[in-house]
Amino acid sequence: MVSEGAVGLSADEIDDLARRAQDGDRDALERVLTEIRPRTLNVCRGVLPYNPDAEDACQEALLNIATKIGSWNRRGRFTTWTHVVAVNSARSTYRRMRNQAVASDALQNDNPDPRTTSVIAGTRLDLLEAMETLEREHPQYVEPLLLRDVYGMAYEEIAEQVGAPLGTVKAQIHHGRKLVRPLLRGSA
Amino acid sequence: MTRLLAAVAALALLASGCSGDDDDLRTGGAGSGGSSSPPTSSASPATPDGGSTKPDLDLAVSEPREDTNYPEVGDPGVDALHYDLALSWTPDTDTLDARETLTFRSTETDDSFQLDFGEPLEVSSVTSRGKDVDFAHQGKDLVVRMPVKKDRRYKVVIEYSGTPEPVDVPVQRSDFNQTGFTITDDHEVWTMQEPWGAHSWYAVNDHPSDKAFYDFTLSVPAPWMGIANGDLLSKEEQDGQTVTRWHLAEPAASYLTTLAFGDYKQTDLTGPRGMPIRIFTPSDEPGTIDGPNLAPAALEWLEKYLGPYPFDTFGIVVVPSNSGMETQTMVTLGNTSYTLSRPVVVHEIAHQWYGDTVTPADWRDLWMNEGMAMYLQAMWESEQSGRPLDITMDEWARSDNELRQYAGPPGDYDPDKWGDDNVYYSAALMWHELRQRVGDDRFFEAVRGWPASQENRSADRETMEQFFEDSTGEELSDFFDDWLLGERTPSRS
Repeated sequence: MVSEGAVGLSADEIDDLARRAQDGDRDALERVLTEIRPRTLNVCRGVLPYNPDAEDACQEALLNIATKIGSWNRRGRFTTWTHVVAVNSARSTYRRMRNQAVASDALQNDNPDPRTTSVIAGTRLDLLEAMETLEREHPQYVEPLLLRDVYGMAYEEIAEQVGAPLGTVKAQIHHGRKLVRPLLRGSA
Repeated sequence: MTRLLAAVAALALLASGCSGDDDDLRTGGAGSGGSSSPPTSSASPATPDGGSTKPDLDLAVSEPREDTNYPEVGDPGVDALHYDLALSWTPDTDTLDARETLTFRSTETDDSFQLDFGEPLEVSSVTSRGKDVDFAHQGKDLVVRMPVKKDRRYKVVIEYSGTPEPVDVPVQRSDFNQTGFTITDDHEVWTMQEPWGAHSWYAVNDHPSDKAFYDFTLSVPAPWMGIANGDLLSKEEQDGQTVTRWHLAEPAASYLTTLAFGDYKQTDLTGPRGMPIRIFTPSDEPGTIDGPNLAPAALEWLEKYLGPYPFDTFGIVVVPSNSGMETQTMVTLGNTSYTLSRPVVVHEIAHQWYGDTVTPADWRDLWMNEGMAMYLQAMWESEQSGRPLDITMDEWARSDNELRQYAGPPGDYDPDKWGDDNVYYSAALMWHELRQRVGDDRFFEAVRGWPASQENRSADRETMEQFFEDSTGEELSDFFDDWLLGERTPSRS
């Protein structure tokens, strides 16, 4: 069977499609959205293990990508940029769901199965919550830290993506880790 | 409906040959045209014995086993040798009327045997040597209460009808979560079976360790037509119905079958050594489709690395799915830009060697198929784009830990995440590493040697690992264990 579609087109071909989409080619936009959907969903699943939540986040991400495609700076890979949009969409889905959950007082289950339980009880709850805390004091740390430690992206790629010098990005990740570590489950 | 059933029964009789019905199980009922209805096209190239298409059933003897991850599907008591399927589709009522003639070897002595069979279908009779046999259809199991002896061969005829439904499969993929018989809004039919959708439309030992021959007689109101695996022996219009007969000349696992009913047009291409290639696309599809037209060139490219294409015919059928499937000799591709793309065509054709001629004997070893197909696809893409393969592999290596964390190591994956990216990318990366370790010459000699050494069989990882060790002359136990069972990416060269 074919793989899910993460490498349907080469990165160069996707960049090319995205440039045409930026220039107003609607077919290219549609095509590039189809191409990146599987990997966008994978990114969302990375932080939202419950599939329907990841699907919601993925939908939101694709909508954001379609409407904000003009803000891709064409320096880095288009897929890297969509990665960042997807991470942010997953986080905003999380925030929305958390607020709903708090409102309905649904935080009761101690040991839920992350595959069958919505995000409020998912395994990455601590991580997302830590990101919320980090964002309040140091919003600029959040994106580099997630890209590095959750998605394993190279420092150079992150620097290119967030438009900051390499040294700055490394320092942000370093400081971010120190702040976040005590907030994560299982940390001493 | 009764009239239709009778027509199906008559067709099936023609298809399975009228004489010697149950007497000679070694050769009987193997889809040879009855003398009253000779095939309109010439015989399958695999059977040059004067127009007969009777397969040698000994070639379909398998060692069926219980699956490590999914023991509830398949039954090691049955070794299917030949499925002769006469299937009639009525779009107006979404009804499938069927007569299945199954020849099998029993692997044990028992007072019954068991097949997988879709719950929504209604069995009207099971007969053996013309006599009714008692049966029970509970859930997805069809239990036939017929005493069987170890290593004896039997033939049963199962008549059934109904509206088949696809079955759930344990995947977390965006492109599908059910497989098997799928009915479109226009009442057309397409199927993809991997890992176990076959039993949604016929009674089958639905496990990759059991290979069998197939004949299909497909009937649907004209101008629609039915498409399945193998060689198209004939296509005729009879009483407003298009009747097509298909013969698969080499045994196949059930997940590698395909079935489609719809309004199709046929485009003929020619492959290596003059091999016929038939492309079936929806009639309303404008123009030609880029990916499938690559088939001859893709076959030629793959033969450089894998040796001669292992079968006698090739084709592609395009269906309204979001996935693509290496169905044996007749690849099934979804009608999306991705699944019709050239890399996907290369991937599915690569599976004809890695997956089809040699098939994993256990779903635990799905990586044996997908890793190599993915690696060959990456090699082809690299050649086309000029982007060095090493860069792609470095890219894949970067997400490897994430894939292992999400779905488990490729050789010991989370059973709820069948067919996830780990069996594709992590296993492909493993082959790339092996290539660095043993060098191109030894690597490609082994890659080419493996499918040929296991032609038409199912094999497990132990057999494959042993072959690669013998062929390359390297001790590779730790290498394979690290890559297949490691929770994290092993160190790379």
